[in-house]
Amino acid sequence: MVSNHVIRQLSAYGHGELTPRESAEVGAHLMACSRCRSEFEEIKLGIKLAEQLPEISAPDSLWADLQLLRDAQARDRDDVILKPQSKKLNLWQPRFAAIAAGLLLIIGLGAFWFSRNQIRPSWEVARLDGTPTIGSSAISDKGRLGVGQWLETDSNSRAKIEVGSIGQVEVEPNTRLRLLQTQPTEHRLELAHGKMSARIWAPPRLFFVDTPSAVAADLGCAYTLEVDDQGGSLLRVTTGWVALQLKDRESMVPAGAACQTRPGIGPGTPYFEDASESFRTALAKLDFESGATDRSKTLESLLGDSRVRDTLTLWHLLARVEGVERAQVYGRMAELAPPPAGVTREGVLALNQQMLDTWKDNLESSWGDYSSPAMKALKKVWTSGLGRVHRLEGKR
Amino acid sequence: MEHGAAMPAREGPQVDERTIEACRQGDEEAFRLLFERYKDRVYSIAVYHFHGNESDANDVTQQIFLKLLTTIGQFRGDAEFTTWLYRLVVNACIDEQRKRRRFLPLGETTQVPKATNRTLQEKHFARGEIADSVRTAITELKPKLRLPILLKYIEGLSYEEIANVLSCSKGTVASRLNRGHKALAKRLAYLRDQVV
Repeated sequence: MVSNHVIRQLSAYGHGELTPRESAEVGAHLMACSRCRSEFEEIKLGIKLAEQLPEISAPDSLWADLQLLRDAQARDRDDVILKPQSKKLNLWQPRFAAIAAGLLLIIGLGAFWFSRNQIRPSWEVARLDGTPTIGSSAISDKGRLGVGQWLETDSNSRAKIEVGSIGQVEVEPNTRLRLLQTQPTEHRLELAHGKMSARIWAPPRLFFVDTPSAVAADLGCAYTLEVDDQGGSLLRVTTGWVALQLKDRESMVPAGAACQTRPGIGPGTPYFEDASESFRTALAKLDFESGATDRSKTLESLLGDSRVRDTLTLWHLLARVEGVERAQVYGRMAELAPPPAGVTREGVLALNQQMLDTWKDNLESSWGDYSSPAMKALKKVWTSGLGRVHRLEGKR
Repeated sequence: MEHGAAMPAREGPQVDERTIEACRQGDEEAFRLLFERYKDRVYSIAVYHFHGNESDANDVTQQIFLKLLTTIGQFRGDAEFTTWLYRLVVNACIDEQRKRRRFLPLGETTQVPKATNRTLQEKHFARGEIADSVRTAITELKPKLRLPILLKYIEGLSYEEIANVLSCSKGTVASRLNRGHKALAKRLAYLRDQVV
């Protein structure tokens, strides 16, 4: 049983108003408590909405209206604070021009000082090998990666980033990445090319990595992500789950599985890395060679090579193929792991969301070892984040 | 008049102690500088507080700056100028609201919040649509939930600064913001995919 819920602190947590210790306590509680996690989702949405609130420009006439009001007040009463109307200021007099110039100089210097000295959100970066750079400056031992700044490694250098208090990212050689955002409600990197490994111990959906062909949404996990020069990427998950997304196309990738992405297409279908070579080759063809003439043979080959564990791939494929192909995929899945009660062939072929989810829940035990109580609890945390990943539901 | 996109807190030139001191001495140009620095934020709070009614917001904003002009001599610098200013703003809005209640017994909720200017929406429809919905939802919050939201998101104040302006504790600010955020999320749940 989870005690001491943190619901009252969630806005302060989201705004970074808590002390580091309080923030860590709230983060740890969120990992364990589904009720508070659900509340935090609502608070985060409220914060995101409030951030859309536009400032409204005052009408240009406001100053003139104010002057009229002052004049009227001055006529009616004798308690005007400023100089009498009879001594109206002539702003073109040299002394006023000098004052204005002085004020402008002070403001300019103040703005310059402010821009140089204000505290910008940043992450600590430690050099592991060689000479990584932030912007154009080499890191000696440690540095800070600010929002908007690029971190680059050459062929001999590596670096480690502390992702706030929620995890670590190791940056491999020949990599270029940028910090886009860091707030308690969202941490976001852009990986332009190269390779990074992430270990995140935060509640689901706080850490994102944008690549040229998909967004990796962390669901509490460890993984590596590699982007090639063409913008394609390869995700390999070692712990937990990661969701890959591009517009309406999503893939959920558990530990032991991988997923490729391509520019303009998005994430392919996830597969377990211990699947046969022929299975993976056929899958790549189905995912990324839309004009393939031997598509039906390729699908037959893939289905023939599939094991019970590969229902991860087949379950995703259900929504990515149509007609006869979908029926073929269903048939093979039913052979490998018959659908549970309440899940019908017609429902699955019609992509009934509830039936698909029920079947997925049933299949998950074959996708990973969730037998221990600890793993069961973690699985609950991970998978509770799956269905609510941005645009994941209802668009398969 | 245009609606600016949600802007980072405290942009623009900083008003320093010399400017404030010059205002206290009756320096017209310094007061104009102060006015230019804060007019949009003061006006924004007034517009949102008065349910999008720009005429009321205009009147209250003028009253606020007039009061600022006549009372700035009382500002002793023992608090942040912004705290002092926003306390003026909040008090003026609440006072005006009380006055209007006397004459409008049906209460504020009978007024229909209107989008006051659609220029931005025409240029950036999707974003404008969200902003429009948020604006409407904000104006429909209870005043005690609305003011902390406005001070946080329009003025960019910290919880402590909001607490000083509203003369309450940080815990109260946190609690009201929590309730405000939840009310917004509930009312505008259909926008989740567009903002998350």
